[in-house]
Amino acid sequence: MKENSTGASTQELWARLFRAATADCFLAENGSAAELPAFSDYITEICEAKGEKPERVIKRGDIESSYGHRLFAGGRSPSRDTVLKLAFGLELDTDGTQQLLKVARKAELHPRVKRDAVVAFYLHRHKSVTDLQQALLENRLPLLGGGKNGE
Amino acid sequence: MESDELRELLNSYDDSIYPEGFLAEYTPMECLSDRNGICTLLVQDRSGESFIAKCCDKALWSVVSGGGILNGLEHSGLPKQIASYENDNMTVTVREYIDGVPLSRYAAENRLSQQEAVGICVQLCDILACLHHRERAIIHRDIKPQNVIIRPDGSAALIDFDIARVYRSGGDTDTTFFGTPDYAPPEQYGFSQTDTRTDIYSLGILLRWLLTGSTKEDSRIRIYSPLAKIIGKCTSFAPKDRFSDVSQVKRALLRADPKARGLRSAALILCALLLIGALCCGGVQLYRHMTYTPFTADTIPAYMSDEERVADAVEYMREKYGTNMFDDTEGIASVGDLRAALIELYGLDRDYVYGINMDIPRESDEFFLPWGWDDVQTVHRDVAVYAAVKVHDPSIVADWSSLKDDDGYYPGVRVAVAFAEDCGITEGANQPRDITLGELALILANADRVFDAAEAK
Repeated sequence: MKENSTGASTQELWARLFRAATADCFLAENGSAAELPAFSDYITEICEAKGEKPERVIKRGDIESSYGHRLFAGGRSPSRDTVLKLAFGLELDTDGTQQLLKVARKAELHPRVKRDAVVAFYLHRHKSVTDLQQALLENRLPLLGGGKNGE
Repeated sequence: MESDELRELLNSYDDSIYPEGFLAEYTPMECLSDRNGICTLLVQDRSGESFIAKCCDKALWSVVSGGGILNGLEHSGLPKQIASYENDNMTVTVREYIDGVPLSRYAAENRLSQQEAVGICVQLCDILACLHHRERAIIHRDIKPQNVIIRPDGSAALIDFDIARVYRSGGDTDTTFFGTPDYAPPEQYGFSQTDTRTDIYSLGILLRWLLTGSTKEDSRIRIYSPLAKIIGKCTSFAPKDRFSDVSQVKRALLRADPKARGLRSAALILCALLLIGALCCGGVQLYRHMTYTPFTADTIPAYMSDEERVADAVEYMREKYGTNMFDDTEGIASVGDLRAALIELYGLDRDYVYGINMDIPRESDEFFLPWGWDDVQTVHRDVAVYAAVKVHDPSIVADWSSLKDDDGYYPGVRVAVAFAEDCGITEGANQPRDITLGELALILANADRVFDAAEAK
């Protein structure tokens, strides 16, 4: 980053992607982790609110079908990359994705991390997971679900 | 258009702020925290393995100690130091990523028992001992549930050494507050220099939090008394009133652990039982030693009716002495029969057997029977027993020391009967007066068996 470790120019660009610009602000606005709902309940509620079926969300998120259904059933605790895929499946914006990560008790997208910036950029543009993976590949960044810890 | 915007976004990142070589090896994946000039990143190496990278802004951390503080430390509860990088602006330390759940979340999601809470603190004591017991003690200074990771196997690890410092003996005070207010002791606010007792204070607060869900003392919540005392001592305002070493805390916790106390009580009860058992066995052995007698009923036939005993005794006497004098088993035995047996079977001198005592009954070498009886008189069982014992060992009937009173009976008979009853000589001889020849044979045979066996021993 140009000015310092969290340079101003990056913050400006990041501010375009997020209304709540930093994780700290987001946390302050959204209460403590102790009040968070169960992840499976939360994604089910989002589906119902959007009139979506889990099958479509799972497919759009490029998540393996049986594993995706277990996430909705509450049988598994997802990795951060899977939560991000679900965010694409649910067609969430960046704020919605931050909340989803928070409910999943995962680190939120952070301007300091280049890979997170690419993810946020594609969420903001309502692009597909496939488009995101292509961009990550082109920029030599790890793909979603590509690490040892990804499902 | 889109790709231009993305390129603009990515170009805004100045990779040169990181020390050379760091980004070539590791890719930042997540930002776990970014505060106080320290950014904690989850990074991934080329193989996809995760690590923790601490990026410290040198402008804020001119004397940062977290960087290499874990160098040379080997403990399963501490993250391994993997690599470090440095430039003019930043120090990056790469450490092992410990997979697990922060204690803050683990405790919220699992109802921890008192034993589990104590177990976690005992593990932390071991980890802190590794830090504190170095030539120059390392003080963590930020012990709190968020900095304790519980692995899937239940083991605890201590992370986040951002504000750890090496204890400087003779130092004055900590001029800058670091740490987490609820868990920080007074000296961390500048009252004095922090030392290892700083961590002990935080450990006490952590234990209270695990047991009550609160870092503050709450009189409405009762804590198991021994643990409450430990917390009280750990969190004393003055460091001198606290435990001086984590090993002391660990010992106190292990002593106070209800499970351990239960086990200890059980062990004590077991030891007591073993001791009682040993004493009993020893006592029995001692009793046996003190009361040892070769005269036992072992040789007296068991499981026989009285008639069978008589027949067996008559046969025994016939075989042993070649006598038929007891064949009329139902015939009433006389004093003459007894005297005949003493003379003919046991070889006593006739004069001795027929010697008559004209005085009060007493033991003497001049007469066997202490009474002036005629041969025609019938024989009482106790007299036969007296004769049967005395013929083998006169000293037994002469030792009256065991008698506590005088009930009018001749003492020699009383001690003889007591002896005979103890070693089974009277077995099967139930008729008190006018015993038969068969019963006389039985008493004599029983006595022979007992004394013969004793002699053999």
